[in-house]
Amino acid sequence: MPLLELDGVTRKYGALVALDQVAMTVEEGEVRAIIGPNGAGKTTLFNVITGTVKPTAGQIRFAGQPIAGLASHQICRLGISRTFQITALFPEMSARENARLAAQARHPRRWQPFGGARIFTEAGLRADAALEQLGLSAIADRPAGLLSHGDQRLLEVAMAMAQQPRVLLLDEPTQGLSVEETEQAVDTLARFLQTSRMTVLLVEHDMEVVFRLAHRITVLHRGTVIADGAPDQVKADPGVQDAYLGGFA
Amino acid sequence: MLGVTRMRGTTRLIWIVVALAMVLAPLGLPPFAMTLLTEAVILGLFAMSLDLMFGFTRLVSFGHAAAYGFGAYACGWMLLHTGMPLLFAVFAAGLLTGVIAIGVGWMCTLAIGVSFSMLTLAFAQLLYAISFKWTSVTGGSDGLAGIPRTVGPFGFAALSSKAGFYYLALGCLVGGFLACSALVRSPFGAVLRGIRENEAKTTSLGYNTRLYKIAVVAVAYGLGGLAGALYAPFAGFANTELLFWLLSGQVLIMVIVGGAGTLIGPVLGAAFFMLMEHQLSALTEAWALYFGLIFIAFVLFAPQGIWGLATGRLQMGRLRANPRP
Amino acid sequence: MSTLALLLTQSVNALSQAALLFFLGVGLTLIFGLMRIVNFAHGALYMLGAFVGYSLSSWSGNFWFALAGAPVLVGLFGTAFEFTILRRLYRRDAHAFLMVTFGLALVVGEAVRLIWGADALQVAAPPLLSGVIFLLDEPFPVYRLFLVAAGIVVAVAIWQFLERARLGLLIRATSQNADMASALGVDIKLIRSCVFGIGCGLAALGGVLAAPLVTASNGMAATVIIDAFVIVIIGGMGSFLGSLIGALLIGFVQVFGNYYAPDFALAFMYLVMLAVLVVRPGGLLGKEA
Repeated sequence: MPLLELDGVTRKYGALVALDQVAMTVEEGEVRAIIGPNGAGKTTLFNVITGTVKPTAGQIRFAGQPIAGLASHQICRLGISRTFQITALFPEMSARENARLAAQARHPRRWQPFGGARIFTEAGLRADAALEQLGLSAIADRPAGLLSHGDQRLLEVAMAMAQQPRVLLLDEPTQGLSVEETEQAVDTLARFLQTSRMTVLLVEHDMEVVFRLAHRITVLHRGTVIADGAPDQVKADPGVQDAYLGGFA
Repeated sequence: MLGVTRMRGTTRLIWIVVALAMVLAPLGLPPFAMTLLTEAVILGLFAMSLDLMFGFTRLVSFGHAAAYGFGAYACGWMLLHTGMPLLFAVFAAGLLTGVIAIGVGWMCTLAIGVSFSMLTLAFAQLLYAISFKWTSVTGGSDGLAGIPRTVGPFGFAALSSKAGFYYLALGCLVGGFLACSALVRSPFGAVLRGIRENEAKTTSLGYNTRLYKIAVVAVAYGLGGLAGALYAPFAGFANTELLFWLLSGQVLIMVIVGGAGTLIGPVLGAAFFMLMEHQLSALTEAWALYFGLIFIAFVLFAPQGIWGLATGRLQMGRLRANPRP
Repeated sequence: MSTLALLLTQSVNALSQAALLFFLGVGLTLIFGLMRIVNFAHGALYMLGAFVGYSLSSWSGNFWFALAGAPVLVGLFGTAFEFTILRRLYRRDAHAFLMVTFGLALVVGEAVRLIWGADALQVAAPPLLSGVIFLLDEPFPVYRLFLVAAGIVVAVAIWQFLERARLGLLIRATSQNADMASALGVDIKLIRSCVFGIGCGLAALGGVLAAPLVTASNGMAATVIIDAFVIVIIGGMGSFLGSLIGALLIGFVQVFGNYYAPDFALAFMYLVMLAVLVVRPGGLLGKEA
């Protein structure tokens, strides 16, 4: 059974059709890149999957369970974690505390109003493991607001990982990074994806990043899926090359 | 985080001296100074309760006087009309305030940001207006007067004396402090901190932040109500001034000038405020004006407040929640 | 009094109240729309306008002079405050603005009390606007009709200013995307100072116009700041049209509420605000705050 299935997912904003009958299946352990020109509906797709926004029509199944219409914090608890296009962190907490708070969200007594030493220890272990996976152990005690932009982007991924999700949604993880920072980040991500065998949906504009990390690519254009397949296949697809004026070498 | 754990030997010594001074005060201080000290302790509890909302969760309340005034009226009414023991009335009034505040919190958290703050103010103003109109219960513009310090259970009258009442207030302050400290260091407190620094991120991590906000409003109002409930038998009266937005503003100033997010800072801020009020008002009619200017100066140049300056904490809000490259 | 006449009288009252509220709210919403500043001092500046208007009209014997002078003086004061103090806070988080303008409200409130005393001061309306005119055999105070007219004139003027005038366009552009506007060569700092000054001036205008009706008193600031926020929250923070709609809505709720159920009028206003926030948390026409 595929881990994530989208069936006829549509999202309208009045007359604007942001997503039009999107269908997609993602297998466990797969790294699926979602690409498309600006305005294609990539972030809307993420929003619909995580429950931030409800689909106007269509179904979404996570491990066989329908999730369209659930509240976003409920969907998060089912095992779907996400990072955002614009970096969002807790700037005055250390990287470790950031990841720990993310891990704490999964604990059944996360709301405990006293004590909590054991809860903090358990969450701390998961946080440390996640930071290690993303190569951030060295800066674990530094305030998140003072990290380099590249490390901040990776910290967001670590926070999502600290929640031990089954599916990870990465929204433009290399957004705003310099060429060097991107290289380093992609190296780290590649290693991390190989060892963790995480199921990932990745929105990216940078094609080199996509080709390095993705197993399959889904191309969105104006809300519809115009191509879906292995990277080489998609590269050669004329429809895709048209959509991206000028294509890619 | 609270500055207490980072103290070295000398500062710990200072704390012990202060604690001793507070405990032994009734033995050495003249009656009028004891009155001032007791009032400072009560205000300190009031300010500390707001710190829970503002300092730790960044929920700006412009209507915290509602908690204080309601607690005062509730306790005053109970003491006047039911002859309940002082201890029970005080805690019952505080508890009642906290319970009602769950509803207030539910309403106010329908909105976020400034709208939330305006809703807290609106609620306080509503309570203020009701206190004028509902004369049969609140005494209208005259308020409740002649509130007695009733005798405790089994004839326990120690609390009614000046010193006894002081120890009651001090006990509430210390107890409140210990409870709040435990709360902010717990997992619940960690979530509050997340809400403070980036609420959207906290929600996206899977926390139902609204529930946490409602809970912290209830606890904050409950403690504020406890402070008000202490004030009524202390002063012997409860009137509409206790619900007025000016008081809400003053307590917010106490929190900021004292040092938000530290629990101790606001208590110092309350003491500082009272000092200013009593000393400056003797010197000049314009003391409130100067105090407003001092407040603006603090916001501009020392937002970490007195306690923050003393413990050298990182300046609040210096780091942005959405860092730019 | 026939029902129609009653309705008409109360409607005129409501419209004149809405006009005063509009002057208050539009400044607040413009300031927020451009600078994301919640100007808590707005009520105090309204009050300052009333008292400055009193002094100007006493000194010159001319109401019109006060009407022109008070907004200008208070507007300049507002600009000076933005220039010296608010400018330092743009890099800080939004709460700093709230606190500082709250401090300003306290300082202005106290200053007014110290300079003009604690008594309410009467400002005389000019002879031209005093008295009543008769419509349908019912007397209507000329001053209230003047307020309605003034409200319409100012609303249209601001609307046209935002739509057509160069400065208005720059303000709208900077409200939507300050970085972009700056990159295009717009002097954002100047625009911010201007808008803050204009917003304060508008609040003062409301105060001067209100003075002959309600007298200038120390308690004005407190009641009026809540009204201002209620209408702006209902209409949507940052929306000019929203502040107009909010002002009309609350003007009618207040006047008709006071007439039919005076004990509950205050509650009605808050209930309306609550209802709007439940249905549309950003206000009727607002972007999310």
